[in-house]
Amino acid sequence: MSGTQAVRALRLPRIPLTLAAGIAILLVALVLAAVPQLVAPYSPTAFDYKAILKGPSLAHPFGTDNFGRDILSRTIWAYRVDLQIALFGTIFAAVFGTLVGAVVGYVGGWAEIVFGRVVDMIVTFPFLVLVIAIVAVLGPGLLNLYIAVSAVGWIYYARIVAAGVAVQRRLDYAAAARVLGYSTPRIVLRHLLPNVVSAALVFWMTDMALCILLGSSLGYLGLGAQPPAAEWGVLIADGKNYMSTAWWISIFPGLAIVTTGLGFSLLGDGLADLLRPRR
Amino acid sequence: MPSLGYVVRRVLQMVPTLVFILVVTFVLVRLLPGDPLSAIAGDRVTDAQVAQARAAYGLDEPLLTQFLIYVRHVATGDLGRSIVVQAPVRNLVTERLPPTLMLTAMSVLIGVGLAVPLAFASALRRGRAADFAIRAGAQISLSMPVFYIGLVLLTVFAAQLRWFPVGGYGDDWGERAYHLFLPAVTLGVSLAAILMRNLRAAIIEVLGAEYVDFARAKGLATRVVLLRHVLRNALISTLALLGPTVGALLGGAVITESVFAIPGIGRLMIESIYGRDYPVIQGLTLILALLVSLAFLVTDLIQAALDPRVAR
Repeated sequence: MSGTQAVRALRLPRIPLTLAAGIAILLVALVLAAVPQLVAPYSPTAFDYKAILKGPSLAHPFGTDNFGRDILSRTIWAYRVDLQIALFGTIFAAVFGTLVGAVVGYVGGWAEIVFGRVVDMIVTFPFLVLVIAIVAVLGPGLLNLYIAVSAVGWIYYARIVAAGVAVQRRLDYAAAARVLGYSTPRIVLRHLLPNVVSAALVFWMTDMALCILLGSSLGYLGLGAQPPAAEWGVLIADGKNYMSTAWWISIFPGLAIVTTGLGFSLLGDGLADLLRPRR
Repeated sequence: MPSLGYVVRRVLQMVPTLVFILVVTFVLVRLLPGDPLSAIAGDRVTDAQVAQARAAYGLDEPLLTQFLIYVRHVATGDLGRSIVVQAPVRNLVTERLPPTLMLTAMSVLIGVGLAVPLAFASALRRGRAADFAIRAGAQISLSMPVFYIGLVLLTVFAAQLRWFPVGGYGDDWGERAYHLFLPAVTLGVSLAAILMRNLRAAIIEVLGAEYVDFARAKGLATRVVLLRHVLRNALISTLALLGPTVGALLGGAVITESVFAIPGIGRLMIESIYGRDYPVIQGLTLILALLVSLAFLVTDLIQAALDPRVAR
């Protein structure tokens, strides 16, 4: 590494505002998910028949539901479940899709043609309908939700990575690595993939936001996390019959979804800005 | 118009997609633990009914034969029988399809109606407060689950203000449009956010094109330049989103119809899941996938008609 390069590497890149905001939101979310018992003022499942359907107050900032359960505490405990949905609903698709994409992009030729057809077939299938159908057959619950989402979701990562690797493998440094006699897995994993993976990483952030929306939608419909587990979609469904009289039961968990989704989107946008090659 | 060759090629491209849809829906009911018969005919059946169903679906035959029997049934419009309602799935689908189609169409209208002016306002004031506000609004609405938007609209405009009905579907066209307005806004808002982002980027790109400078240099009024040159060309690139959009809308309809109690196929899907009515789930998955691949086909053909480069 030459002197100027070393200096440049030492200087921190300017962190875009969107990225900082995204990181801040998600850090708070992570803390809430990690230690809800330290942050939540009440137990998420404790009934309190003296405080039924109470509006927001100092004692219950987000109000209480029809069993007197504290909505703030339930919303905080739900961070754990919904962030878990974001992670487990995407991680298998991200890893598997990236590997498939790397192989397809490197092999090229017939593999690219076959893969292109597979993509065409799967993307015409309405994602939500397919996931709902799979969950309907396998049964409601988070594990089956993960299976359903992963079964479909990997294709999007594979498409992004395949396109990137196909470009990289034609560049000089890839040829140089081949001339040096490196093994194919080494060329793909150590040399090509690192130059491609940032696009997949940015998509992963959006994907986690989408997965929370999907997970809470299924929770709302009764097909995702099962009560009494505190999950935002389930919490919103709990309050839907009280919307006119006790709006707080549904509104506050919804705001948690919106802010967390925004956090992932901002992080994704910020990463995209940061990782975009400078000219 | 796109060349006949392109149309034929594009329609032929649908064949593997159709096979895939048939395979997925076929495998779907066989993923269930136990005998697929109980998924197809239900558990409360007589021995005679069991024998009849086994023969009709070839359940004692190898899987490939069963699949071909399934394909033949679908090709003749036989989607099986509902276990719960004891009626042909085809009848249920044709009965419940119109509200869903009308909801989808209204959502597209509202989505486009919101997206076009907002995209222009945002693109023409790039980097200023209005642009920032519009893009922030789009970002927020993209982070909101559809059922949440629906629930809020339902509470404010139907339950509290009583401007709209709380749910259901009407008897004549006017009443139907009135009943479906809030659900269509629910879906349209999310759609508008996606369309607006793409349209804004496209408008900014087109604004920098030489033919726009030329149109201005000719002395055309700004309004004419924007509508005839900028919007038209920007819309072509946004049109590519129509296929995926219809897919997302039909998926969203499953949720929206549940929130607003609309008797469409989305709600039928959820009812069937609660009732473990697997033939209906299978038939609906098939129909929804077919509708979406049809939307992809129409999108590609319209694009080819507007932009000959696509058809090459």
